[in-house]
Amino acid sequence: MKSPLSSIIVFHVGPAPISESVVTTWAIMLVLVIGSVAVFRHLSLVPSRTQVFFELIVETVDSQIRDTMRLEPGPYRAFIGTLFIFIFICNWSSLVPSVEPPTAHLETDAALAFLVFLAVIWFGVRAGGLGGYLRTFASPNPIMIPLNFVESLTRTFSLLVRLFGNVMSGVFVIGIVLSLAGLLVPIPLMALDLLTGAVQAYIFAVLAMVFIAGSIGETVPTPVPSSERTPS
Amino acid sequence: MTIDWWTLGFQAVNVLILIWLLGRFFWRPVAAMIAQRHATAQAILAEAEAKRAEAAAALDGIARTRAGFAEEREAILAAAQETAEQVRAARLQEAAEEAAALEATAKASIARDKAATEKIWTERASHLAVDIAQRLASRLDGAAVRTAFLEWLLKEIHDLPDAARQAVAASGATLEAISATLLEPEEQQHYARLVGQAFGTNLPVTFKVDPDLIAGLELHGPHLVIANSWRADLSRILADITHDDQS
Repeated sequence: MKSPLSSIIVFHVGPAPISESVVTTWAIMLVLVIGSVAVFRHLSLVPSRTQVFFELIVETVDSQIRDTMRLEPGPYRAFIGTLFIFIFICNWSSLVPSVEPPTAHLETDAALAFLVFLAVIWFGVRAGGLGGYLRTFASPNPIMIPLNFVESLTRTFSLLVRLFGNVMSGVFVIGIVLSLAGLLVPIPLMALDLLTGAVQAYIFAVLAMVFIAGSIGETVPTPVPSSERTPS
Repeated sequence: MTIDWWTLGFQAVNVLILIWLLGRFFWRPVAAMIAQRHATAQAILAEAEAKRAEAAAALDGIARTRAGFAEEREAILAAAQETAEQVRAARLQEAAEEAAALEATAKASIARDKAATEKIWTERASHLAVDIAQRLASRLDGAAVRTAFLEWLLKEIHDLPDAARQAVAASGATLEAISATLLEPEEQQHYARLVGQAFGTNLPVTFKVDPDLIAGLELHGPHLVIANSWRADLSRILADITHDDQS
């Protein structure tokens, strides 16, 4: 049994090793991009059932952004929506035999958390300027500046650890059970792992929205929703 | 446990590229399509609302036009009724006047016809009466009748004004005595003597027979006529009757 903590290098491109999670990510990207182009080419004012399904996804993401960030979803839709769909498909990619979810590896989760960290800075600076973004660290008072600064790092780290821990542990448990009990025993755990994967994708996207909204909260008229709870 | 920084970098770039690609081919087009459908629906709703408002305005216009038609119809009917009443009143007045004129003309014509008829019948009755009287009186010619007419002649002479009687006597003109039947010479002398006495002098009297007198004795002179006969009486009666009817 392979350790989920280790990266398997499939091949090298020059000095750069290409791990299995990167290849899986490329496959997922290929599927998503091909599907998006197919949807894009068949967009119609009178929608088909497929188009209705994808429009439902877009409207759901928009609704979540409006409810969570209290902002118009246009600038944030692509980032939040892509994060959710990518993590969701990555988590569910374990359904494909011999495929390990990229999110079960620390590098992918770290990359996602790092992108959220950058997005918080990017959207915060774009909304209120560099000064406006920095002033958010002095909220509610300047004494909180060190704590807020540390929080901006720790919450990114918490994103990374939460997603990695949940997905990796699911894969790890399934691998252990599979090696011990046989073929059919891990199925309930796999179903639970799918549920956990969907929930974690949602939580990651919601937390990204909350962090971004927190960085631009003082520069927009409507406050960030009060439910800034961080589910474990 | 180690972190493969190459993998971390690849995954970050991969996700960034995926965000851009999905934003380019999925999120923005689908959201734009939703917005376009929403805008189209809004436009259709606005157009439908405009059409509805236009239809409502058209209905209002039709209702106003219908109301105008009704008012115009009422006005036309009222005017026509008033005109008809005026024409009817004028026709009635004209008919009444014409009827009155016709009635007056008819009454006048009837009155004229009645008067003419009455006149004709009166004349016929008078002539008939005179004819009857003539036929009856023609059977009464006799001495008594002649004596009566002689007395009536003498009375007429006496009733003459004195100046007239004296003028006749003074003229000495020959008087003409006309009788219905021929008188005997003795009777002629007797009659001449009595006539002379009545005038107060002897006057020459000639005798003449005229059967048309029916009965009687008339005396004619140059300036004297004493119509003392039934013909003269009947003529006076007929003239009186005719005169009474005409008056």
